[in-house]
Amino acid sequence: METLNFLFQGLGIAIQPLNILWVTIGGILGTVIGMLPGLGPATGVAVLLPLTFVMGPTASLITMAGVYYGAMYGGSRSSILINTPGDGAAVAATFDGYPMTLKGEAEAALAISAIASFIGGVIATILMVAVALPVARFALRFGPAEYFMLFVFALSATASMSKGDSLKGFIATLLGLMIATIGIDGQSGIKRFTFGILELEGGIDFLVVIIAVFALGEVFKSFRNIAEGHKKSQTKFGKIWISMAQWKRCMWPILRSSPFGFFIGALPGAGGTMASLLSYNNEKNLSDHSDEFGKGAIEGVAAPEAANNAASVGAMIPMLTLGIPGSGTTAVMMGALLMLGLQPGPMLFQQQSTIVWALIASMFVGNIILAFINIPMAGALVRVLSVPPKILYPIVLGLAFVGTYAISYSVIDFYLLIIFGVVGYFLSAAKVPATPLILAVIIGNDMEQSFRQAFVISNGSLKIFFASPLCIVLFTLTIISIVGPVIRDFVVKRKNATADTQA
Amino acid sequence: MNMTLISGTVSLVIGLVVSWMSLNLPEASVGIPHAPKVFPAGLGFLMVICSAYLLLREFSRIRKNGKVEHEPRNPFLSKIVFTCIFGVLYALLFKPLGYVLSTFIFLELELFLFNGSARWKINTVVSLTFSLFIYLLFAKTLGVYLPQTPIIWF
Repeated sequence: METLNFLFQGLGIAIQPLNILWVTIGGILGTVIGMLPGLGPATGVAVLLPLTFVMGPTASLITMAGVYYGAMYGGSRSSILINTPGDGAAVAATFDGYPMTLKGEAEAALAISAIASFIGGVIATILMVAVALPVARFALRFGPAEYFMLFVFALSATASMSKGDSLKGFIATLLGLMIATIGIDGQSGIKRFTFGILELEGGIDFLVVIIAVFALGEVFKSFRNIAEGHKKSQTKFGKIWISMAQWKRCMWPILRSSPFGFFIGALPGAGGTMASLLSYNNEKNLSDHSDEFGKGAIEGVAAPEAANNAASVGAMIPMLTLGIPGSGTTAVMMGALLMLGLQPGPMLFQQQSTIVWALIASMFVGNIILAFINIPMAGALVRVLSVPPKILYPIVLGLAFVGTYAISYSVIDFYLLIIFGVVGYFLSAAKVPATPLILAVIIGNDMEQSFRQAFVISNGSLKIFFASPLCIVLFTLTIISIVGPVIRDFVVKRKNATADTQA
Repeated sequence: MNMTLISGTVSLVIGLVVSWMSLNLPEASVGIPHAPKVFPAGLGFLMVICSAYLLLREFSRIRKNGKVEHEPRNPFLSKIVFTCIFGVLYALLFKPLGYVLSTFIFLELELFLFNGSARWKINTVVSLTFSLFIYLLFAKTLGVYLPQTPIIWF
């Protein structure tokens, strides 16, 4: 009942005309950015962040959430039409979405992806309403030692679940934590790793690192794609809608994938990509038409789209309630929250409940608006895809620089932007995942603070980190998250080896 | 170039440097004296362990396969270098020339790199529109301070 009261209060704010306008603008801009190959929600929010600086915290968060969902909706447009996913979470939409376009069913594919995203988003928001408050209340019991162990678990889970080599994920995490230690230590006043450079004494702004890695790093990577040529998209469409028979095929896959996606999204590090790929595979196994998957099965578009939108909502749970972002985009949003002077975590629900519930309520409003933007206006929006990337990427660069300047009004940050852009590029060239690094840069400071507080409480003994049952549970989860992938790789290797000897 | 060997070596060096620097940090005058060192030193040690393991794993893989795999050199490396140089130039010109002019120059250079010099008309239109639009939006509408260009009156 209390939750519903909060929700209605939030809804009262979310439906104010100005906030509806912001979420619409955010949604449209997000959809456009999401459609661009290589640019996903994290880049979208990072690049558009400075636009929200002048708004109040509520309007700013609502706009960013709009950009986030917009980019999730938009990411699948380019998957379906030109077989180029806007971001990782939209990869699964290429499997059946593009074959549908080739069969001349682009309208149905676009419609079902928007419908599935809408239903996924709404179901996930309902689930969020139900669990947010209990999780936040539970988190209030955490002391510094528990918090530190939670950070350790979140980081190790992110590193080990990241794409490719989990060892490289751990190296990225450590690098991110090291970046976070640069500057004057808040507790002792000692300068750490500043190399005598005055500008580094205040530390490196994580927003600069985020914009550098997500925007500059992507642009650096894009030179190759640009050389491969520009794919032309279909721009003329019939009615963007689906038939009753198609809906019947998709209904259950959508309803199954939404809660599933929400759950995966709420896990640290798992995010939309994993949610959409897993739900695609689930539906392929469950479907009566499994042989049609990959050849243009409509439920192959519906299931991952519902799952990835639900995951994007789920990822907000750990960010808002615990102060631990579950994905790259929520990491950027958390950076923005901190910049607005709000500390995400359990206290946020007590001290800033109006803002939090307005954000949650705006997710309902945002999803309705985005469904409207993406179904009737899809034909107009996809024209963006006909603008050559050769022109769009320099514009992204321009936005990255102006965004960086707006954060601190310091040109020194331009050099940091370039340096971290290059770092981001080399990380991707060495197949080191960027997300763990970003998460570590953002939570590094809080992580060290909770470590130091616990350290002081225990008078310099490390035993405190294993003293409470909660700490032990978190420690066990950390060990599982590290050892799990190693065992999985070993089993897969074993299986392959036996298969080879039998063959 | 084997990127795994390079990244392993670089992170090993970073780990060693951070460990060494952390242990040599001054002691805190209040509270536990070595408190500021513990966290970064721990990170340094873990980095050394992780990167050493990465290198050992890669070496044993190379020994097993009998050859070092080289990743092809990115043919677009020069464009990345140019983007960085243009970025530095942008940083140098930003304050003296103001936002509109410095951004116009930066975008013109970037578009030259991406879009080629033959399409200079489009490039110029895009650069000019972008720099003016962003200036009007940020500085004049949203109230975000951007350095004023001397020859432009607003």
